[in-house]
Amino acid sequence: MQRNIRSGVTFGIIAGFMTFIFGGWSVAIIGVLYGVGLGLSLGGRLKREAPLGMASQALPTAASAGGVLLVMSLIQNYIVAPAIGQFPADPSVVIPANLAGVLGGFIFTLITVALHGLPEKQERMGKLILLAVIVVAFPFVDTFARLNWLAQFIFALIFVILGMGLNIVVGYAGLLDLGYAAFFAIGAYTTGIFSSPQHNIYLNFWLVIWIAAAMAATFGLILGAPTLPLRGDYLAIVTLGFGEIIPVVFRNLTDVTIQDPLTCWIIPGITRLFGGQSGMACITLLSHMDVTAGERGINPIGRPYLPIIGMFTNAQPIPWYFLIIAIILLTIFLVNRLRASRLGRAWMAIREDQLAASQMGIDPVRTKLLAFAMGATFSGFAGAFYAAYISGIFPDVFDFSASILILCTVILGGMGNIYGVIVGGLVLLTADRLFLPALKDFLSGLLNHTVLPALASNPTLRAAVAQNANPILYRYLLFGLTLVIMMAVRPEGLIPSAQRRMELHEADEVPNAAASTSMKS
Amino acid sequence: MSTKAKTILRRILITVLVLYVIFLLGPIAGFDVPSIAKAIQADPRQLVQFIIVGVANGAILAIIALGYTMVYGIIELINFAHGDLYMWGVFSSLTILSLTGTLTTKDPVHIIWGIAVALIFAVVFCAVVNVAIERLAYRRLRNAPRLAPLISAIGMSFTLENIGLIWAQQSWIVPSFGTTGGASQKDYPDLLSRLFQGLGYNVNLLASSGLGLRLTIKDLLVIVLAGVLMISLRLFIQRTSLGKAMRATAQNRDAAKMLGIDIDRVISATFLIGGGLAGAAGLMAGLYNGTAWWFMGFRAGLFAFTAAVLGGIGNITGAMTGGFLIGLLASFSDGYLNARWTEAWVFAVLVLILLLRPTGLFGEQVGEKA
Repeated sequence: MQRNIRSGVTFGIIAGFMTFIFGGWSVAIIGVLYGVGLGLSLGGRLKREAPLGMASQALPTAASAGGVLLVMSLIQNYIVAPAIGQFPADPSVVIPANLAGVLGGFIFTLITVALHGLPEKQERMGKLILLAVIVVAFPFVDTFARLNWLAQFIFALIFVILGMGLNIVVGYAGLLDLGYAAFFAIGAYTTGIFSSPQHNIYLNFWLVIWIAAAMAATFGLILGAPTLPLRGDYLAIVTLGFGEIIPVVFRNLTDVTIQDPLTCWIIPGITRLFGGQSGMACITLLSHMDVTAGERGINPIGRPYLPIIGMFTNAQPIPWYFLIIAIILLTIFLVNRLRASRLGRAWMAIREDQLAASQMGIDPVRTKLLAFAMGATFSGFAGAFYAAYISGIFPDVFDFSASILILCTVILGGMGNIYGVIVGGLVLLTADRLFLPALKDFLSGLLNHTVLPALASNPTLRAAVAQNANPILYRYLLFGLTLVIMMAVRPEGLIPSAQRRMELHEADEVPNAAASTSMKS
Repeated sequence: MSTKAKTILRRILITVLVLYVIFLLGPIAGFDVPSIAKAIQADPRQLVQFIIVGVANGAILAIIALGYTMVYGIIELINFAHGDLYMWGVFSSLTILSLTGTLTTKDPVHIIWGIAVALIFAVVFCAVVNVAIERLAYRRLRNAPRLAPLISAIGMSFTLENIGLIWAQQSWIVPSFGTTGGASQKDYPDLLSRLFQGLGYNVNLLASSGLGLRLTIKDLLVIVLAGVLMISLRLFIQRTSLGKAMRATAQNRDAAKMLGIDIDRVISATFLIGGGLAGAAGLMAGLYNGTAWWFMGFRAGLFAFTAAVLGGIGNITGAMTGGFLIGLLASFSDGYLNARWTEAWVFAVLVLILLLRPTGLFGEQVGEKA
């Protein structure tokens, strides 16, 4: 009992710190989210009984968490907000927001816990419905509460798709691809080229997204074919190189001239060597064509159009949100089918032991190549969506750090487990897109109003503090550390697939190998 | 037609096709044969100049490549973080030069001891950091699946890079970093030229020869220093007992362990030496190229790794040779092709070697490790 109360208080404190950083209406959404999280972690631990009994068991925990959140949220409203230079919150916001957050957290904790009391099938159904409700309600709550998280949250969802694609390559097939952002870039640039004033081609988005996916898959094959026979670590560095070269290519394809070498200089050169004159015409395929617009980037890019909704625009992120949710659902479905298919099993066999797999009649190169192509396809979707959403693409977006960010989501969530990857992507990207900027505003507010005036007597220290108190600077550092720490502490990720966990903890399990085999079967 | 003739015909066809595609698409990336021929004809001296620059830059790459090749030889890990360690070498030496007041002085004696202190500090610092990286990130993963230490190395590389980015904006420590933020390239003053001008020498050694070429003190110093480092490393590995232990560990770790070699110590020593070399390369590169940039380690690391693979990974002479070759290639690409595509060309070389001759120029045959 005490332990449950303690975890409730912990959840409350974490949620409270979130409200410190986001402030205002955020407490409403944070409340619901922590409620579900607390309910999930609590539900598995409590004694199983009927739903109502479960809920009454969870009552003290939920109440203590809600109490902590309420206290911290009030502290935010009346102490922290003035300290970071905001106006003390208005009662017309404070009262409904806190009420919604605390009550929402309380109720959702109870509901989620109660779900654990249902029979297994209904429990899964209930959790899915709960999830669906949150997913559908989120954009409307966001708009209503004027949090403006949605536009940034869509980026997180784009990276979820990318993570699922990379998961096929790294998680299923066990190929470390360090240049995955290249395929993202190819998808995005394909969309840019086929649907923008750059070349005066304006194809429909619904068509272009398939072209982009096909193009990314084709490049997956082209780039993969020569490199896949290589052993694992060489493959990693070659993909790293590809990932680095693709942005260079897009950056520099601003003045493309393609001339047939035979007619243009080889034959004339030879005839000149023998003193002759050749009257051969030089065949020019392309002359000074600006394919990608270099650093300026391609923009504007055409956007999707749907009959009732009309043209998707910047001002209205909700259609975009549902579009990306639809793409994610499609991706989850396809990836799950792929995983269970013959091909998916072949991937995992290759990952476990290439030699044994090839003895069983699996063609390793073909199988790996398909993994590459399939992984690239999904990043093609993501790229097309991204290009249309931003309505412009620039080469800087697709550099090495993007590849590492995607790899990070896969590693953090758990290689080989699609739900782990989704969670990893959401955690990492919301941290990156929402939490760090808010933390930055929070810190700079705190510095300007409270800390820096106190340091006025020491200008060197003041300058140093002002320069370095910007969490955005540390974002990539955090990703790098995430990789190192995850590998050291929990290489199987937050939500691992059972197989991967076995594999990565092979060494620990050697003494009682017999026990673990019997458990497997 | 016999099958042999058929295969030969097929190979010729493929070669012709590949050549055609290279000539067709090469001009996009600067590989335009007629204009290169014209450029060489117009000024052949330029070619020699590019060779000098290429060899000097190659010397720096070679020293970085040594770190890759030694670590790979012993624990079969591509230490991605190595290139970024070199970047730390650049920044740590620059920081020391700034703290000792060497950046602004004109006094030759001050410059000499400033550089000496910076060299010692950079070497020790990078060596210690490298050992620490091995202890923290790689050691516990030594028996894990191959992917795990590789991912850890990538994470470490990313971490070092971004610490470099933050380092580059601490203008309260190094005033010359300025207020432009960490992402911009920082000046690394050309102290060697200043030193020799201060001593009354002409910086260009070939100034009086009338050849119209430029071989500076810097070029010579970098090349000589690289040569010295390589020879002493070879001697160390061939002659000392620790070197012998390294070779034994590289050949067969378990057997070496059974013979009483302390594997952990040997691996730490390898990282120590590799890190020290990266620190030295950092100082040299800073003084030679005159810039410090947080992202420079990535490119240098990729180039140096290519050099190590070209020479045959695990092979010290190979790494040195590969370094010089890649330096030359990069220099020619900068000069005659198009500097913006240099990375792509070097990288194309990497892919080609891995496909055609994965053992490199000097490497021995190593089977696929299951």
